[in-house]
This record gives sequence, structure tokens and C-alpha cells, in this order.
Amino acid sequence: MSSWHTPEAAARLKKRYASERRFKAFGFAAIAISLSFLAFLLFTMVKNGVSGLDWNFLIGADSTNPDDAGIWGAFKGSLLTMAVTLAISFPLGVLSAIYLEEFAPRKKWVDWVEVSINNLAAVPSIIFGLLGLAIFIQVMGLPRSSALVGGLTLALMTMPVIVISGRNAINAVPPSIRDAALAVGASRVQTVFHHVLPLALPGILTGTIIGMARALGETAPLLIIGMRVFAASPPEGVTDASSVLPMQIFLWSDEIDQGFIQNTSAAIIVLLAFLLAMNGLAIYLRNKFETRW
Amino acid sequence: MNSTIVLLVLLALAAAAWFAARAKARGMFTGRGSLAALPSYHGWHMALWVLIPALVGWTLWNAISPGFLYSAILADPSASLLPAMDMERDAVIAEAMAVAANDGFGAFRPETSAIVPVVQSLTAKFAWIGAALSAILAFAGGAYGYTRITASFPARTRVERGVLALLMAASFVAILTTVGIVGSLIFETGVFFSQVSPIDFLFGTNWAPDPFAAVTPELGEKLGAVPLFWGTLFIGAILAMIIAIPFGLMSAIYLTQYASAGFRRWAKPALEILAGVPTVVYGYFAALTVAPMVRDFATSIGIENATTESALAAGLVMGVMIIPFVSSMADDSIAAVPQSMRDGSLAMGATKSETIKRVMIPAALPGIVAGIMLAVSRAIGETMIVYMAAGAAANLSANPFASMTTVTYQIARLLTGDGDFDHPATLSAFALGLVLFVVTLALNIVALRVVKRYREAYE
Repeated sequence: MSSWHTPEAAARLKKRYASERRFKAFGFAAIAISLSFLAFLLFTMVKNGVSGLDWNFLIGADSTNPDDAGIWGAFKGSLLTMAVTLAISFPLGVLSAIYLEEFAPRKKWVDWVEVSINNLAAVPSIIFGLLGLAIFIQVMGLPRSSALVGGLTLALMTMPVIVISGRNAINAVPPSIRDAALAVGASRVQTVFHHVLPLALPGILTGTIIGMARALGETAPLLIIGMRVFAASPPEGVTDASSVLPMQIFLWSDEIDQGFIQNTSAAIIVLLAFLLAMNGLAIYLRNKFETRW
Repeated sequence: MNSTIVLLVLLALAAAAWFAARAKARGMFTGRGSLAALPSYHGWHMALWVLIPALVGWTLWNAISPGFLYSAILADPSASLLPAMDMERDAVIAEAMAVAANDGFGAFRPETSAIVPVVQSLTAKFAWIGAALSAILAFAGGAYGYTRITASFPARTRVERGVLALLMAASFVAILTTVGIVGSLIFETGVFFSQVSPIDFLFGTNWAPDPFAAVTPELGEKLGAVPLFWGTLFIGAILAMIIAIPFGLMSAIYLTQYASAGFRRWAKPALEILAGVPTVVYGYFAALTVAPMVRDFATSIGIENATTESALAAGLVMGVMIIPFVSSMADDSIAAVPQSMRDGSLAMGATKSETIKRVMIPAALPGIVAGIMLAVSRAIGETMIVYMAAGAAANLSANPFASMTTVTYQIARLLTGDGDFDHPATLSAFALGLVLFVVTLALNIVALRVVKRYREAYE
């Protein structure tokens, strides 16, 4: 009894408690510093860019004069590219997720599909640019720098994200739903398309939006396929040479004229606002439609 | 004949077929059990018979018709005026096709304008043949599909077989993509290594690619990639990790072990925003704000001729970008440590931090290490931050204030330059890409194995 109350023991305990407090403070500091870096980044962009955010900036095309330059051309390029990406990656992603979760037999080639998808999700984005350059431009002869090639390249990059989130969403639908449909005579295809897919759709959409947000912020693969263009007028269609928002930021950041700092920061604000809105939508969808079975 | 119009017409035909077949099947309905499939499945069956043969025919025709078009142009009397040399003649025809496709396009060669009308009429004629062919196929397929509508025909089974084939084809695209990546990287790398020795490339220390230099065997001496490998490792695996590992790990520990539920609810998503910021934004921030700070700091501690482009600026920002990634991986593996181990340590009188340091982290170590490997693989594949902040100079030094270049930077640089695509200096980008692909793949495979084995150990 007495040995616990010696001065040495009390001192040791004090030291241990001090180290406990220190450790906790370190943890808090780690988060605080990380978040203040984010705050500092956002503050810098707002400070530099908010005065450049006006109507002319939003509807103008690129220009060599920072006062005339706007983001509409790049923005339209982003919209076209995202449209191609969504049109390719969403059906492909959802259909493969359905196949892998519901129908795939235990065969060697199915394992290969799974391995491919998991690895593709981790391949550096610049490698997809090399693929786009070698296959879509060199072999298939599609127009360089176009939203079509950019969209196809990003679609291949986004597809694994959609497949993985789609599989999770389909897997979360309880077997009792399937059993009930099968028990009243539905075929397996009917069960999946009439019952499982509608229930899994919110989860799939959440994953799709997150994948699209990533594609929207991507620059490196598009740099490789030559979407580094100065477009004084917005692209008319998916085969025209076009730029995208992140690429416009990259191009302006290279300009020597000080006026472009404001443009670059303003474009970053627009891009971040879009990404935030997309992620917010994803979170909203998840919270609204998520069912706990 | 525009391909959009052809597609729309085919879709309209398919829709008409759907309604026609459903109406016929409904007419056969005489009571419960009199039809083997629902009328709408008969509709789908016939619609597919209209659509698929026509689309296949249209695609095939588009693939083979350029060859026919070419010989038809040559057979035309006006082609006798064309140059006899094959290459020149092809150039003229290619130009005429471009002019024919786009009226605003001006012709450079005098011979071109003579054959443009011919090319135009022939192109139109071939497009009409294609459209007619697909229309015939659509009606033939539709007619066959229509005759199959009988009371006992299992339309649903047939349609579902088609659906399954579609699903299978979709999942095959993932394999095709992987094959496409590996195939194109290996092919172009093979071309590169036929001109430059792999030993020069992998072990040479002098990197000074010149896409306009004459192709000689000595070219390999300027394509030694060791400085790039070092720069990539130094920035991605050392500098960035010095930031990301302690910050990510401590954030995860604080969030899972100490933070109140309310704090966690907003701090965790806020931390995730760091991972969602596009890399080009980080790159700009690194170049605009962090790099000058790093330079001023370097000057203040007495490093002379410090530049704004430094490995440290890129590594620092990249480290911050990776923090949420390390944090969420560490979070998962700490959460997977059984509660009983934690309780046991606390019951023995250990404080929370002692429990974390002596029990939880050692137990979670395999998962944490795997997470760090994934983080490294992400960091070395990152392009925009190093492109905008780390510089182009291939330095083989351990000085973080020096300008340094990476594999990803050089890939982007070589492929966006004006160089000839077939020049070894340009092709070296594909060899660099192959190295990057193999290294990130290896890191991922090993990391996922470790995670899997570790999860099994506690389940």
C-alpha cells in the first residue's frame, strides 16, 4: 500500500501524465496544422482571385490580355469532356459492377477482370495519358487535343471508381430482396434490373459523382494528349481542339504577366466551387437515400 | 449522310419494331398462360433484331469503305491528272478528302481542286450505300424477328441472353484497358530500346534529352534516367513522406482515440477536402506561395543561389496532399485492432498514449506500412505539383533546396514538346512510363497483400 505513495512514484506518475498530455497535444496539432494549410491555400486563392470574378470573366474566352481573358472556353471544354466521360464510364461501370456482383461465374478470366479493375484504380493518372496518346491518337487516329479523346481517356480512369463503388452498393442490397423477387417467379435479370439496381442506385450515383469530380480536376493525362491549347473561341463540338478548366489554370500559371495571377486564382475558385458542389451533392445523396438494412 | 442521322433513324425503327411486336404478341393473348413471354419481351426481342444487325453492318461498312473509296477515286477519269508518285498522290487525295469534308478548308495543292467534286460525290455515294445497307439489314432482321413472334416463343430468355452478353462485354473493357496500357507501353518502349541500350537508360546518370539531335548510337549517353529516379524517390518517397507520415498518423490517432464525436464529425470531412483539391491547384499554390517561402528560408540559413524551383517546395506540398490518404489508411488499421487488446492494456494501468504507442501501433503496423506504401505509389505518380514547382534540371543531389526533376515531369515535358514522335528522346517517355507503371503496380500489389494477410490475422 505504502509503496504507491512514495515521492518517486508520484513523480513518475506526473511524468506519465505529462507525456499523455503531450501526445494528445501533438495529435491535435497535426490536425490543426493540416487544416490551417488548407485554410491558408483557400485564403490565398480568394485574396488573389476574388476581385477578378466578374461576369466578363465567366463568359469570356481565353486571351493573351489578362483583362479580356475569361474561362468560358475552358469551361465549355470541361463540360464536353465530362459529357463524354460520363456517357462512356457510367454505363460501362454500372454494367460491369452488375456482372461481377450478380452473374460472374468463378472463372479465371473473371479473376483477371477483378485484378485489372483494382489495379487500374491505383495506376497514376499520367499513365492513362500515355494510353490515350498511343491508342486513341496514334492507332485510332482520333483528333488530338479534342474533348472526345480527353473524355475517353478520363472515362477509362473513372470506370474503375464507378465499378468499385457500384459493387459495394449492389453488395449492400440484402439477399432477402433477391430471394423475394425470385420466389414470385422473376428471372435473375428481372430481379437485378427491377429490384436490386434501383435500390443500389443512390450508392452508385454517389460513387459516380465522386469519380467525375476527380476527373474534372485532372490535368496530367490531358496534358499528354495535347489539350494544352490556346483556344480564343470556345470549342463547338467534341472533336474541336479544346482546353479544360484545370488546364486553363495550368496555362495561366505559366504566364509572366502579373494580371494572370488574378485570373489563375479566380479560375481556381470556380473549379473548387464546382468540386465542392459535386461532393456536397454526393454527400447529400448518400445521406438522403442511404438505407440501413 | 451523317452518322447521327443514321443512328437516330435506326433507333426510331427499333422503337417502331418494339410497338409492332408487342401489339402482335398482345393479339395472341387468349388467357392466362397462353404466352410463353410477356408481350413487351417480344417487343425487345424484335427491337434487338432490328438494331444489332444494322449496327454491325454499318460499323463494318465504315471500316472497309475507305479502301473502296480510295480505289473508286483512282478509277475515276479525272484521277489520270494526279501525280504518278504514290506518296504525292496519297497526299493530294488526303487533302481533297479534307476539303470535301469541310468547305472552309483551303487547298494548298493545285491538283486538289480538280478532284474535290469527284471525291465529294463519291463520298456521298458511299455514305448512301452504307445507309442503305444498314436499312436493308434492319428490315431483314426485323422481318425475321417478327416471324418469331408465336405464343410459345421464349422471347424473355433470348433477350436476357443478350443482356448477359452485354454485361460480360462491359466487364471485359477493364481487361482491354489493362492490356492496352501494358501493350502500348511495352511496344513503344521496345521501339525505344531498339535505338538506345537499356543499360544506358537504366543506369546512366546524364539526362539531357534533345528531341532534335541526330539519331546515333551515342544518343543513349544523354538518356540516363538515374537522376530522374532519384528525384522521384527523393521528392515522393522521402520529402513528402517526412510530412505525410507523422501528420497523417497523428491525425488518425487523435481522431480515433481522443477527439469527441462532434469534433470528428466536421474535422474528418475537412481533412478529406485536402485530398479532393485538384493537383493543379496544389501545384499553383506551391509555385506561387510555398516555393518563394522555401527560397527565402534557404537564403536566410545561408544557402547561396537558392532557386524558386526546389525539391523541398514540391515535396512539402505533396506531403500535405497525401496526409488524408495516410490518415484514412491508418484509421482503418487502428480500428481493426481488437478492442480486447486495448482494454487489456488500459486495465493494466497504462495510460491512453502508452496503450497507443506500445500496443495499438505495433499491432496495426502491417496495415500502416501498407498504407504508407500506397501513399508512396500515389506520390511518385503525381505530376502537376512537380511540374509546376520542382523544376526541369536533372540533379543528382541530396540537397532539398536544389531544383530536381522527376519521371512524371519528364514524361509530360517530352510528350508536350515539339519533337518528332518517333525520336528516341520522345519515345523515352514511354520507357519512363513503363518503369513508373511497374513500380506503382508492385507497391500496390505488395501493399494489398499485406493488408489482406493482416486483416485475416485479426478476424
